Amino acid sequence: MSNKLLWLLAGCACGACAASLSDAGAQALLEKSDLQRNGWSSYVGRVKITNFESGKADEEHLYRVSQKGADKTHVEFLSPREKGSFLLMLGDDMWVYLPDTSRPVRITPLERLTGDASNGDVARTNYAYDYDAVYLRREKCGDTDCHVLELTARRKASTYHKIEYWLRVADARPVKAEFYLTSGKHIKSAIFDEYRPVAGTTRLTRMTLYDQIRKQSHSVLEFYDFQPRELPDKLFHQGRLDRF
Amino acid sequence: MNLRVIVFVPLLCGSSLADDPDPAAGKPAGEIRYSLSLTEEGSFAAGLSVPGADAGNLLLLEPSFAWKYADWLRFSTSLAGLAETQGETHEQARVRETYAGFTAGDLDLTAGKRILRWGAGYAFTATGVLDPPRVATDPTDRLNLNQGREMGEADWVAGKQDFTVVWASAGLLDKRPAGARDTTAFRYGVMAGGFDASAIVSHDSGGTTLAGLNFTRVLGDAVEIHGELAWREQAAILLGCKYTLRSGFSAIAEFYTPPDTAYYRPAGMPASAGRQHYGFWRLGKAPLRQLPGWKEWDVTASLVSNLDDGSRIGVFDAGRRVGNRFYAYLHAQTPGGKPGRSEFGAIPYSALVSIGVIFHM
Repeated sequence: MSNKLLWLLAGCACGACAASLSDAGAQALLEKSDLQRNGWSSYVGRVKITNFESGKADEEHLYRVSQKGADKTHVEFLSPREKGSFLLMLGDDMWVYLPDTSRPVRITPLERLTGDASNGDVARTNYAYDYDAVYLRREKCGDTDCHVLELTARRKASTYHKIEYWLRVADARPVKAEFYLTSGKHIKSAIFDEYRPVAGTTRLTRMTLYDQIRKQSHSVLEFYDFQPRELPDKLFHQGRLDRF
Repeated sequence: MNLRVIVFVPLLCGSSLADDPDPAAGKPAGEIRYSLSLTEEGSFAAGLSVPGADAGNLLLLEPSFAWKYADWLRFSTSLAGLAETQGETHEQARVRETYAGFTAGDLDLTAGKRILRWGAGYAFTATGVLDPPRVATDPTDRLNLNQGREMGEADWVAGKQDFTVVWASAGLLDKRPAGARDTTAFRYGVMAGGFDASAIVSHDSGGTTLAGLNFTRVLGDAVEIHGELAWREQAAILLGCKYTLRSGFSAIAEFYTPPDTAYYRPAGMPASAGRQHYGFWRLGKAPLRQLPGWKEWDVTASLVSNLDDGSRIGVFDAGRRVGNRFYAYLHAQTPGGKPGRSEFGAIPYSALVSIGVIFHM
């Protein structure tokens, strides 16, 4: 066997090894990136969503989010028209409490709030819990060196079927994302605009979602008052969904 | 008490306090929620078969206020003030709910007037022993006029299980309908294998006892099924399902047959009518979906039918959000069936249309 052939085989082996390491580490990278969105095991905070149509502010929504672990989320709707409504997500199970029904109503994954910003964008931010990650490539994202991951939904309650996710090489900080439906249609893109120090850690405080179907629409999500807090399990019981 | 005093005093109290002033970690703090809605609705009836006004007006002011302290003490009140004009004007104040609660670990104690809904059905219920009356043509109580019952409640949560004991009065401060009885009820709820299930036993003082089961279950991405089975002298059965389309619309269908007893028989229906069977169908935009191009709209159409006499009533609702605080809506219903010889055919108009606007604060 010639030396050239030996070098070629060795190169292929190293390449394959590197690719498999990258795939194995993709999930760990995803877990690390989640810490910059929800760095505590139990916390509360508020999210304000402003929807824009043709560059003009159109509608505001305000939510209070309580999360415990990766699979328990309680969302209280605080906007004037939605006050008194609650959403509970326990793994794949979801309930909504609307004042006019006066009881928790079981909802299907397809009934989740969707639109400019979905409640999944507010309530399901543990991507490592909801998605399987595969390492795609490394590339420049503006001036930033980024890892690119492809995330595929592993749970029926996952908000999107597929996500292409750009993470800063230096610290796995989310930089941007593209969201896809089961049909393969590209429905939204996100830019993770702003991170700030919060309670001893660095957290995402602002992101912008661009509608890829109605190009004139975009939503700004502002995350504030986020604090670690020990939350009782009973807060996440569907029978108590009507209590703020 | 004067209507204006009932309505405005809690409002002024609520408005003077900040909403959730201190969410700081670990510090016990009081939190407040308050809201106010003002509804103006005009109604027009066509084809009236009884003498009366064919147009009416409703002005509705609904304040609510809730306070909790450090997750162990809470107070909540929800009021409604109505001025209804149909020929003459009548004013009325309603206390929808007013209750106080105390929490000790996993045990919650609540006393006061409260709306509880234990039924799993959308338009009907067989096990909702403490529920406000379920009206199939208005299952969501669109004007929020239902009132709770005066009760004492103990509620204990243990993991995925919960146990509730309630004693509900036939009427201490409230006037209840003639024949209302004190009710003692027990509910066991559990989440297992994807089923959200409850077993319920209740007894009306000096009256009958009910035992029942209900459940909900989600299958796949789009299907939810629910059912109720109860026994109070005879069996009551409810079966229903909901299917969510990828377009964002959802369809609900329910079948219900209540016992052929005086307790369940609709007003005006003779005992000789026998056991009744009902169907309910609804197609509407799922409440949480914001469909591209018309996210501001809510639209539903439903049909309730008495399957025995063939009478039915169609209901159509459309609403549109205007800005962050206004909501305009149209509600229309039209009954059909043999006049005077069927349940929905006995309704004394051929069509009723209501148009209104709601302001939220």
